[in-house]
Amino acid sequence: MRDLKHLIYFENLLQEANNDLVKQAKADGKRAIGYTCFFMPEVLLDLPGCFSVRLRAPRCTSPDIATYYMSSRVCHYARSLMERALEGGFNFLDAQMATETCTATCRFQEHLQQKHLDSVKDMRIIDNDDFYCEFIDVPFKKTKISYEHYAEQLRVHVLGTLHEHFGIDVSDEAVLQAIEQQNEVSRLINEIGEYRKLDNPTITGYEFHVIQLVSLVCPKYLILPYLRETAEEMKTREPDLKKEFRCKVVLAGSENDDPDFTKLIESCGARVVCDRYCYGAVESRRIIEVKEGEDPVMAIARHYLDASNCPRFMPQDEMRARKKHLAELCKEYKADGLIVASNKFCEYWSYERVIDTVIMRRDFGIPVCSIEKEYINSASGQLRTRFQAFIESVEIKQIQEGK
Amino acid sequence: MAKKDIKKALKDFWFGKPHTAEEGGRRLGEILEDKTGLYKHREWRGVKDTMYYFYMIWLYNYIMMVKDLMVMGGVVNFAKGVWRYRWVGQTYLPVLHWFDRGLQGLRGEALKGSAWHYRAMVSSTIRQFQRMFASDTRLHGGKQNELYKHNIAHNETVWGGVFYPWDGVIQNVPLEMIPYFVTCHVNSHTVLNYIDAVQSIGLPGDPCPMCQAEAGIFVLDDVPDYAPAVITCNEACDASVSTSTLQDWFLDKPLFSLPMPMIFDDPLVKKYCMREIEELWKFIEEQYGIPFSWEKLVHKLEQQNELQRFEWEKWEVAAKTSSYPINGVAQALYRIYQTQYGDWEIWHKVDGKVRKIMEKCVTKKINTFPQTRHRVIAWSCAPLYYSNWCTWAYNCWGLNVVINMDSLMFDMTLRTDSYEHTLEDMAQYHMWAPMRRMAVGGMKHMFELWEYMEKFNCDMVAMYDQLQCKGVQGLHGLFEDEFRDRNVPAFWIPHALPDSRTVSRAEIRRQINDYMTTVMHEEPLDPSLLDFDDSMTW
Amino acid sequence: MCKFAKFLLKLLAVGLVLNVGLFCVFFFDLDGKLLFNVVEPFLKKHYDDMERKDTLQAPYDMNKYPKYEYDT
Repeated sequence: MRDLKHLIYFENLLQEANNDLVKQAKADGKRAIGYTCFFMPEVLLDLPGCFSVRLRAPRCTSPDIATYYMSSRVCHYARSLMERALEGGFNFLDAQMATETCTATCRFQEHLQQKHLDSVKDMRIIDNDDFYCEFIDVPFKKTKISYEHYAEQLRVHVLGTLHEHFGIDVSDEAVLQAIEQQNEVSRLINEIGEYRKLDNPTITGYEFHVIQLVSLVCPKYLILPYLRETAEEMKTREPDLKKEFRCKVVLAGSENDDPDFTKLIESCGARVVCDRYCYGAVESRRIIEVKEGEDPVMAIARHYLDASNCPRFMPQDEMRARKKHLAELCKEYKADGLIVASNKFCEYWSYERVIDTVIMRRDFGIPVCSIEKEYINSASGQLRTRFQAFIESVEIKQIQEGK
Repeated sequence: MAKKDIKKALKDFWFGKPHTAEEGGRRLGEILEDKTGLYKHREWRGVKDTMYYFYMIWLYNYIMMVKDLMVMGGVVNFAKGVWRYRWVGQTYLPVLHWFDRGLQGLRGEALKGSAWHYRAMVSSTIRQFQRMFASDTRLHGGKQNELYKHNIAHNETVWGGVFYPWDGVIQNVPLEMIPYFVTCHVNSHTVLNYIDAVQSIGLPGDPCPMCQAEAGIFVLDDVPDYAPAVITCNEACDASVSTSTLQDWFLDKPLFSLPMPMIFDDPLVKKYCMREIEELWKFIEEQYGIPFSWEKLVHKLEQQNELQRFEWEKWEVAAKTSSYPINGVAQALYRIYQTQYGDWEIWHKVDGKVRKIMEKCVTKKINTFPQTRHRVIAWSCAPLYYSNWCTWAYNCWGLNVVINMDSLMFDMTLRTDSYEHTLEDMAQYHMWAPMRRMAVGGMKHMFELWEYMEKFNCDMVAMYDQLQCKGVQGLHGLFEDEFRDRNVPAFWIPHALPDSRTVSRAEIRRQINDYMTTVMHEEPLDPSLLDFDDSMTW
Repeated sequence: MCKFAKFLLKLLAVGLVLNVGLFCVFFFDLDGKLLFNVVEPFLKKHYDDMERKDTLQAPYDMNKYPKYEYDT
């Protein structure tokens, strides 16, 4: 396939958190608001006057000081973020909007917070006098009282503090404007992602991963022109005459902001056609709908709880339904198999991976490759062997089924 | 034999050997058999205390256990349960050795007060597993009897108090408290089967081993089927949430999730939590067809408040005097048990006995732990397989663990003057679930350590280092910094909660020994306890 | 000596023997040794040999249970 025009530019944007577009937005006088988890609605951090940056720590292989603070037995992602913060890599942030949705990232964000207590020192990791860190509580259910609670948390802790600290306009009109902007990004990403459903997709999983990531880590208003252009470019992009892959897979699992991981899978002969993991597009790029007369913050609360299939949800019907949803994704994207990858020390996905590995194969007939990985995958040789073996097994299954 | 020796032998016989090496010491390490930790002979504590131990602890508890078994479900159900479930047969028969390990070296009122706490824990354990067995469809030909229909199963970390409105009508029995949690203290071997079982189906070894074990008993099909519905929760960590997923699969019955909000300082969060508790009550009404009783709730909460008020009296004595008659392990375990399960008759009975002992100690100014060199506060979660490390630490080094974090979790009474107040306080209590009050809700709660250290007049910290607890591991460096900046003597106790294979008991002792010799430059009180092999012990 | 006194004496003697016997069990940790060396290995073997169902075969119906949500 012909190279995408902006791919190298996008790749460069992913090399560090404080990328060119972030610098440009800061120069435009906008406030940079960091976050880590899907449950901190990025749309509220993209209000006029500020922009969201989903934190990553690319190329962080040895988080030594963070390991002193958080020990070596905590998820590498959280430690890498901490290391990057300690190195000064996040000093451009004006605020961190935090969630206690997983223990490790919660602890990382608590280190950033100025607590003003006698009992524990403040580390002033983010060297920015304006910086503050605020937490919200995120419910574990998708019920009426959960929506209401979540909406209230967003109003008080996100909108309230953004207005108080930076005078951000948090009116309904401003929120609706941010929703419109986010929906445009989502529509473009979905449009680009649709090409993955073709029998011979005209976009690779790696390319899509890069595009999705830039939409999370760059100011929306600055990345949008590039996304529009890429979507246009995709309309005329021709596939390779000969398929470059041997099977299609859905990639599900925990935090994954490493496009090289997707590249690794694809270099073994698979094509990643769907990304159902933290930082993936399946959930984060769903269109936010605001019903007639509905409070936009309530609409956002409902959207973010309903859209998520995070293993954090614990009602019985939800725990079971998300397996079904995963199977539906495999069908929708015509995938031949499923790769479930969890980061080492991620407790949610360690368990979910076990169940998915059994249930998806047993009850839905979907071949599953179950992987435990690091944030930065230095052990790529071992993973390569696993993926190659899996792809071969999927091929054998296809031959046996006469496909 | 010289006259002097005869006199000393007689004195040792009558009063027991003195504690310290200088005084000719009792050398407790020498009465242990190598590896097994069995006793060559049990400790001679002097005539009075040995007879008290023999009659009022060993014999009394054996008799009371039989009585409890007969009254609470019968011997036949017990025998069936022992035959069917590993966790009861392998674990609970050697329960008196659990007493021995926790009460080793104690004398006088400290021995009595601590032993009564153990008695209460044993009784409540029997009550729970006997209720399970009496209702268990697996032990009764698949039949769901009346008891079954009036039981509700729940995750061990759901506070029993949320079921008070159905007191006497629906019996709540935690799913893992007896099959897993208590087993680790009594016989640390049993739980290893469950940890291995869940890893055998693909779970990595790094999630919290407590949650692994809680899931493993289901994987090994070792959980009685004793109730038509289940309540689960997210306490205390991410792995707990996920454990519920596995449990739901294997239980396959109506399951209600009672989430505990994470940021419990926020008044908005409390309001949300109140509504979640109300939802739970509606679920129970729907599943069992039995209405909520406000009167029962109030009555039970007031009973529970009585327990809390006595606990505060105990803390007062522990903090301000040297006459507190409860040792570190009895204090910690009894308190966890009591606060977690909620109000129960046995707690009141035992508190009555302990009150008398404590009053005597205070009135007569008895120094209950006379060899105390350091008053220690133990912080974070303790190793379940070595909860009695503090008994050893006192005997060997004079480290008296006065209080621990688990005891301080539920530092509140609950108002009963109106529905709104009651619900509000219940929400608070629920959010302060075990291992959670200081661990979740913001790191500042973990650092309440200094406040309690001062309150309890402690001069040293025993910092538990649960290697697989992401929440506490994520604060490791800050604690190191604070200990250094504040010049607080502190030693770390690495462990993996129930899994004794990760850090052995001997390794824990070695770490403390190293700290006491190289940092504190102290000599042991009883050198025979410095190094011994108890690798095979329960 | 009256019958009652004899009975009392016998009772005392039995009580004494019982006490001494139990004390020996207690003091020499015979209960612990029996449980550790005999009872536990026997039971462990029993539990290890026990047939257990394969829990991974347990059904996992996606639609079996409703959403539990109530007005509060």
